[in-house]
Amino acid sequence: MTGWTGNILRINLSSRSYKKETYDEAFAQKWVGGRGFSMKILWDELKPGTDPLGPDNKLIVSLGPIAGVPAPNTGKTVVAARSPLTGGYADGNLGSHVTSQLRKAGYDIVIFEGIFDKPGYVYIEDDKVTFFSAQEVWGKGTYATLDWLYAKYGRGAGILTIGQGGENKALFSVVRSLEGRAGGRPGIGAVMGSKLLKAIVVKGTKEIPMANPDEYKKLGATDLKKVGALDKESGWSKQGTDGILAWCNEVAALPVRNMRETHHKNAWMLDGERVDAARVATYGCPNCTMRCGITVLDKEGHESELDYENIGMLGSNLDIWDLAQVASLNYLCDEYGLDTISSGSVLGFYADAIDRGAIKGDFRWGDAERAKELMRLISHRDGEIGNLLADGTRKMAQQIGQNSGRYAMHVKGLEISAYNCKYIPGMALAFGVAPIGGHHKESWVISFELKQTSRDSYGREKAQKVIDLQRIRGGLFEFIVSCRFPWVELGWPLENYAIYFNKATGLNWALDDFWKVADRIYALMNGFWLREYPNWDRSMHYPPMCWFDPSNADKEGPIAGKILELAKYEKLLDEYHDIRGYDNRGIPTKRTFQALGLSEEMKQLEKYAALK
Amino acid sequence: MKILVKMIGPFIYDAGFNEKDFEFSNPLSVEELLSELHLKQGRPKIIVRNGHGIGLKDQIADGDRIVIAPIYSGG
Ligand code: SF4
Repeated sequence: MTGWTGNILRINLSSRSYKKETYDEAFAQKWVGGRGFSMKILWDELKPGTDPLGPDNKLIVSLGPIAGVPAPNTGKTVVAARSPLTGGYADGNLGSHVTSQLRKAGYDIVIFEGIFDKPGYVYIEDDKVTFFSAQEVWGKGTYATLDWLYAKYGRGAGILTIGQGGENKALFSVVRSLEGRAGGRPGIGAVMGSKLLKAIVVKGTKEIPMANPDEYKKLGATDLKKVGALDKESGWSKQGTDGILAWCNEVAALPVRNMRETHHKNAWMLDGERVDAARVATYGCPNCTMRCGITVLDKEGHESELDYENIGMLGSNLDIWDLAQVASLNYLCDEYGLDTISSGSVLGFYADAIDRGAIKGDFRWGDAERAKELMRLISHRDGEIGNLLADGTRKMAQQIGQNSGRYAMHVKGLEISAYNCKYIPGMALAFGVAPIGGHHKESWVISFELKQTSRDSYGREKAQKVIDLQRIRGGLFEFIVSCRFPWVELGWPLENYAIYFNKATGLNWALDDFWKVADRIYALMNGFWLREYPNWDRSMHYPPMCWFDPSNADKEGPIAGKILELAKYEKLLDEYHDIRGYDNRGIPTKRTFQALGLSEEMKQLEKYAALK
Repeated sequence: MKILVKMIGPFIYDAGFNEKDFEFSNPLSVEELLSELHLKQGRPKIIVRNGHGIGLKDQIADGDRIVIAPIYSGG
């Protein structure tokens, strides 16, 4: 087997022990890497009902066969666990030197089990694992922790860490690395914190096994240059993802005041031009020549790396239009290790609930200073408010009651990212069926809906497009482990990823082979939900109910008076299930499980719930 | 016929403006408008009129707000 290292490092934090295990080529080809590896391991090793924040949950770091080897944007690392926020399978990817260092240390997968008896960190250097105290940085933010570790191991070391949010188990805590890199939205940081694991440091010195190393290196280096040139030519990284804000505002998809509205006259104050003009630095992930980490100074003078999701959720969604203040909130998310999207959604929901009189409180739309204080309360789980907000919108709505669940903007417990789909049926479906909850990384169909279909249609072509994009975005890029932006933003052909994969592994796969892996992973992700929640039903694939509420329609602007229709959405959901071979709950049928090579998993699942 | 044209992302630097009023003596299609704008970038575009996607052959009407953007695919 080449391309893959074939090695798993299993680390038990309770006993401070570790062992090297192997996996075979059949496993490698069936699950490929990243999300595929994590999903299968969590399926096999977690008992249903495992407490996400208990010692039995497992934290997985996983890579793929092209991860970390120079080629366009291959510096990503996947982190995964059972989510404390949603209860389902959860993962995220982030740019990090862990990718290449772990592969050089000889591993594609690290499984963390158990729990430290006191705060510590793990240092992996080739075959050796050492356990150290993290007492000195426990209670500190991610920037101080990263600096502390850089001083010991150098800036080239692979480092993943958490902030106070993870330590205190705020349910939407993330894992952090490098300047503004973060991943694991559904609470992977909280899982790390629950294990008292402050950081993971990796250094490796071995050769990464490749079928055609010389050819690969030559091709990778050439393609990195080509992608860099494409980026320059297109001007994409001048605004990076921040360019989307002005567009979302124009097409009435911007989140404004907990997604009550879809556009705002002040949107220009936060748009890509303003961000670019305020730029003081640009950062990026390893192996990237289209670096999108546009960095500005926040109100307090910290560097803060902004992307569209951050600005949309921490800016317009909170009615905050001062870019420096938005940058401050973003900086605090990074410092505390909290997810920016969920933070913006949680604060927006809180302001909305107060505004509607569902709960008493002193947070108002546009109050950036109070938002900063709330971020501190959340990350420290300080007091009643800190605890309420740290649990995310779904649990908040359960606590607040008063029908507030209708405007709690989440799917399956994960807060929806910065696209307001009051009148974008296909994208509402993409959020609804996203297997980790309301995340745009699985599928993003808004351009397609506006350009190639009629916006108000609920046709089968939209369900098909959601699936096509899931296979690419939530499939290929998540299991091969690579950033999707060269393809998404520059049109870098998908076929190139098959070439990289084949050169690394010596196989001869076509894109269709990848789609089958993607479908297999999605099927098991949905199977995981059913195993945890045997009473699962199709309402788990609904977006928030306020998107169907005529009283929530915009009063003016491009979509005035328009709103999604539930009966039509139901039909669209049926189309999605039909194409996927899922039953009407959104669970793969027996035939689908079998066709995807999941007969064993199907039998295991049938012990917990009936399949159709 | 008066219209407003708004550029998004990289097209701002190409066109040299963010948004601008235009006046045309005759009605024109989206395709004709694009050729009037002399954009150097040939990259695919999504054109939006008053918040809704339109095609190259669609006619532009007086008072329209036309937005020209790259085909975004989400952050
Ligand atoms: S495009 Fe942005 S997110 Fe992707 S690898 Fe480069 S810096 Fe990282």
